[in-house]
Amino acid sequence: MTVTREAIAVPDSTGTTIALLRELRRDRARQRAANAAYWIYLVVLTVALYGGSRIAATAHDVRHPPLPTAQTPHVLHAAPYGLTALALLLLLVLVRDALWRGPVTLQQPAVDWLLDTPVDRGRLLRPRFRMSAAVATLAGVAVGIVPAAALVSLGLGGHSVGHVLRLTGAAMLSTALLFILGTGSAGLIERYPASWRWLRRATPAVAALVAVLGGLAAWAALGRLPAAVADVVIWSGPWAWTTQGMIALSGGSAPLWQLSTVLLGAAALMALFWAERAAAGVPGAALRVRARTIGAMSAAVLNMDTRGVALAYGDAAGPRRIWFRLRPPRRRELVLPWRDLLAVARAPARLLGAAALALAAVGLIAVAGHAGQVSVVAVGSGLALGYLGAAWLCEGARLDAEDTRRSAALPFRFESLAWWHAIVPCLVLFVVAGVPVAAVAVATGNPGLIALLAVTVPVLVTGALVNVFRPRFMPDLFGGFETPVGNSAAIVVVFWLILGPLLAVVPLAVLLPSALAASHAGELARAVVVGAALAIGLGAYAARRAAKLYSA
Amino acid sequence: MHVSVLPGQRGLRHRHVPERALVQTGAAQHAGGCGELTIVPDATQPPLLALTGVSRSYGERLALSPIDVSVAAGECVAVMGANGSGKSTLLRIAAGRDAPSTGHVVYAGRRLIQDDVAVRTEIAVVGDMVSAYPDLTVREHLQLVAVAHGAGRETDELVDRALLECRLADHAAALPGSLSSGQRQALHLAAVLVRPRRLMVLDEPEQRLDPAARRWLAGLLLTQKRAGATLLMATHHAELASAVADHVIVLRDGEVIGRGTPDAALAAAQ
Repeated sequence: MTVTREAIAVPDSTGTTIALLRELRRDRARQRAANAAYWIYLVVLTVALYGGSRIAATAHDVRHPPLPTAQTPHVLHAAPYGLTALALLLLLVLVRDALWRGPVTLQQPAVDWLLDTPVDRGRLLRPRFRMSAAVATLAGVAVGIVPAAALVSLGLGGHSVGHVLRLTGAAMLSTALLFILGTGSAGLIERYPASWRWLRRATPAVAALVAVLGGLAAWAALGRLPAAVADVVIWSGPWAWTTQGMIALSGGSAPLWQLSTVLLGAAALMALFWAERAAAGVPGAALRVRARTIGAMSAAVLNMDTRGVALAYGDAAGPRRIWFRLRPPRRRELVLPWRDLLAVARAPARLLGAAALALAAVGLIAVAGHAGQVSVVAVGSGLALGYLGAAWLCEGARLDAEDTRRSAALPFRFESLAWWHAIVPCLVLFVVAGVPVAAVAVATGNPGLIALLAVTVPVLVTGALVNVFRPRFMPDLFGGFETPVGNSAAIVVVFWLILGPLLAVVPLAVLLPSALAASHAGELARAVVVGAALAIGLGAYAARRAAKLYSA
Repeated sequence: MHVSVLPGQRGLRHRHVPERALVQTGAAQHAGGCGELTIVPDATQPPLLALTGVSRSYGERLALSPIDVSVAAGECVAVMGANGSGKSTLLRIAAGRDAPSTGHVVYAGRRLIQDDVAVRTEIAVVGDMVSAYPDLTVREHLQLVAVAHGAGRETDELVDRALLECRLADHAAALPGSLSSGQRQALHLAAVLVRPRRLMVLDEPEQRLDPAARRWLAGLLLTQKRAGATLLMATHHAELASAVADHVIVLRDGEVIGRGTPDAALAAAQ
C-alpha cells in the first residue's frame, strides 16, 4: 500500500492544562494538605505522649551503649551474610514494585481524562517519579535506623555516643541509597515492559540466593566459614555495598567501606537520573493497568478486605495460565472437593506456602514438646502458623463467600457448604503434617501424637472457615457503642477480623501442652474428645455464618 | 491558539443528497436518512486507517487472528460479535492503546505506535471509562479536555455545544457522583465532542444507555459522520450498526466470519 505521511499538528497545551487542573482542584488540594497536617500532628502527638519516655531512655542508653557479650563475635561473623541477605531482599521488593505499581503512577481519573490528550507525558509523569524517589529516600533513612539499632543492642555499637551516631549515620545513608537505587531501577523496569518477564523469572533465583545467604549467616555464626567468603559476599553487588559501612563501623572487616559507599551512591544516582528521564516514556497501557490495580487495592484496604488487596496485586500480573486439569467427578458429593482441589492446585504458591506453614507449625510444636516443660506460647505460635496454613487452603470457600452467587446453582443447602469446603484443606494438611508427625510418633513410640493431629487439623480448618464466612464488613462497625470503659469500635473490628483464629487457636493452645506433656492416656483422650467437640462446634458455627451470609 | 474541531478533512468529497437516498462508493454504503450533507468516502484516496495482518495473542491464547481492516476517511466501520470475540482488542490496537502481536497499523500515512502523541490529538476514543474526578463538575471535565487539546478561547463555546448535544446542559454544574450511568456515558461522549476528532474509536458506545438514549446516540454519530468524522465502532446492537455503519465486520473467537454492508455481513454471520 502506498500512503502519504500527513503532518499532524500537536497543540502545546500542557502548561495551560496543568494550570487549569490545579486551579479547579485547589480546594481539594487544600483539604488534602489540611488532612495530611492533621495526621502528622496526630502522629507527633502520639509519639510524644506514648513514646517520649522511651525516646528519652534510648537517648540515655546511646551515651552508654551495651557492652559486647559472649555472643557478639558470632553476630559479627554472621553480619556480612545476614545484612547482605536483608539488603538483597529489600532491593528485590523495591524493584518488584515496578511490576504492579511502580514509582510512576497516575490516579484513575488522570488516566481516563489526561492520557488521551496531547499533554506532554514528561511533564505529567516526571513529577510523579520525583515524588516517589523523595518518599523512598525518606523511607530509606527511617529504615536505616533498624539495622543500626539491632547492631548497637547486640553490643556492636562501640564505646561512645560518637561511635553509635557514626554507625547509625552510615546505616541511614547506605539504606537511603539502596532505596534510591531500587526506586530508580523500578522506574527503568516500569518503562521497558520487555524487562518485566525477566524480573518475574529472576525473582525465585534471587529469593533462593537470599535463603542461601541466610544459611551462610548461620554457618558463619558457628565460626566455620573462611573470611574470604565474606569478602566475596560483601563485594557481590550494589546490595552488598550497602552493608560495608555498617560492618566496618561495628568492628568487622570491610576496609574499603568508603569506596563501596561511593560506588553505591554513584549507582543510585545513575539509576535515578536515567529513570527520571525514562519516566516520560512509561507506556499508557501500563499506567492504565496500574491505576486500576491501585484503585482496586485502595477500595479493598478501605473495606479492610485483605484478600481483595492480594487479588488486586495478583491481577496486576495479568491472566494466569491453567496448568492443572482434573476430570469432574460423577458423584455430586465430590463436586465441591473437586472444585476446591482445582482452586488450591491452580495457585501453587498458595499450596506451597500453606505446606511450609504447616511444616513450620509441626516443627515448632515438636520442639516445644521436646523441651520437657511444654511452653504454651511456643505451642500457640505453632498453632497460629498452622491456622494460617489452613486459612490459605480455604480458597474454594473464600471464592464462594466473596460472591454468594457463585454457588447459587449448586444443589446444596448453604449451611452445608462450609462442611463440604472443609474436606480438601483437612486432607492436604493431614498429608503434609501427617508424614513428619507419624515419623516422630514412631521414633518416640507415642502414637497419641497422630490422634492429636487428627483433631488439631479439623479445628484449625473449621476455625478458618468461621473467618471465611464472616459477615460483610460494614463501616458501622467503626461506630461501635459506648461502654463504661470506652467505645467498643476497636474491639468489635478486631473480633470481626480474628474471631476464627481466636476460637480455634486459643482453646488448642490451652489443650495441647498438657496433652503433649501427659504421661497417661486419660489426658490424651480428654484432649482428643474436647478437640473433636471443638471442631464440630466451629464447623456448625461456620455453617451458620455461611447461611446468614447467603440470606443477607 | 486555534483549534479545529475537525482538522484536515482531506480525501473527502462533500455533496448534498436527498433524504433517504443511498450513496454508494465502492464497498461503502450509507443509508443515513435524516441529514442533508453526506461525506462520501473517496475510493481513490488511501484509507485513513489501515490494519494489515494484525493479530493479538495473550500468552498462548490467540485473542485476534490476523485481520486486515481499512477505514476510509468519512466512513463508519462497525465491528460486531459476541463477548470475547476480539472486538475490544481490535479497537485498542486501532487506537494505538495496544501493540499487535503481528502486523501493523497505519494511520494517516504514519505507522502507528503505542502512545503516539500526534495520534492522541486526532483519534478520539470512547472506551470503558469508569472514573471521573470526584470534585470536578461535568462542565469542568469538558473544559479540561478542551483545554488539553488546545481549544483556547473557543473552550466555552465547544463545551456548551457538547453539553447540549449530549443532553447534559441541565447537569453542567453537577458532580459525576450524582449522575446516572447513562449520563456518565453521555459525559464520556461529550468529552469526544470538545476535542479534535478525525477518527472516532467507539467501544460499545451504547452501553449503559436505554433504548431512547440509543436512538439519540445513533443520531449523534450520524451527525458526526456527516460532519466528516471517521468512525470505527464496536457494538452489540445491529440496529445501531445498520443506522450508522457503511461497513460491518463480524468476529467470532477472534476470526472474521462476515464482512460487507450491514445487512450482508450480518446475514453471512448467521
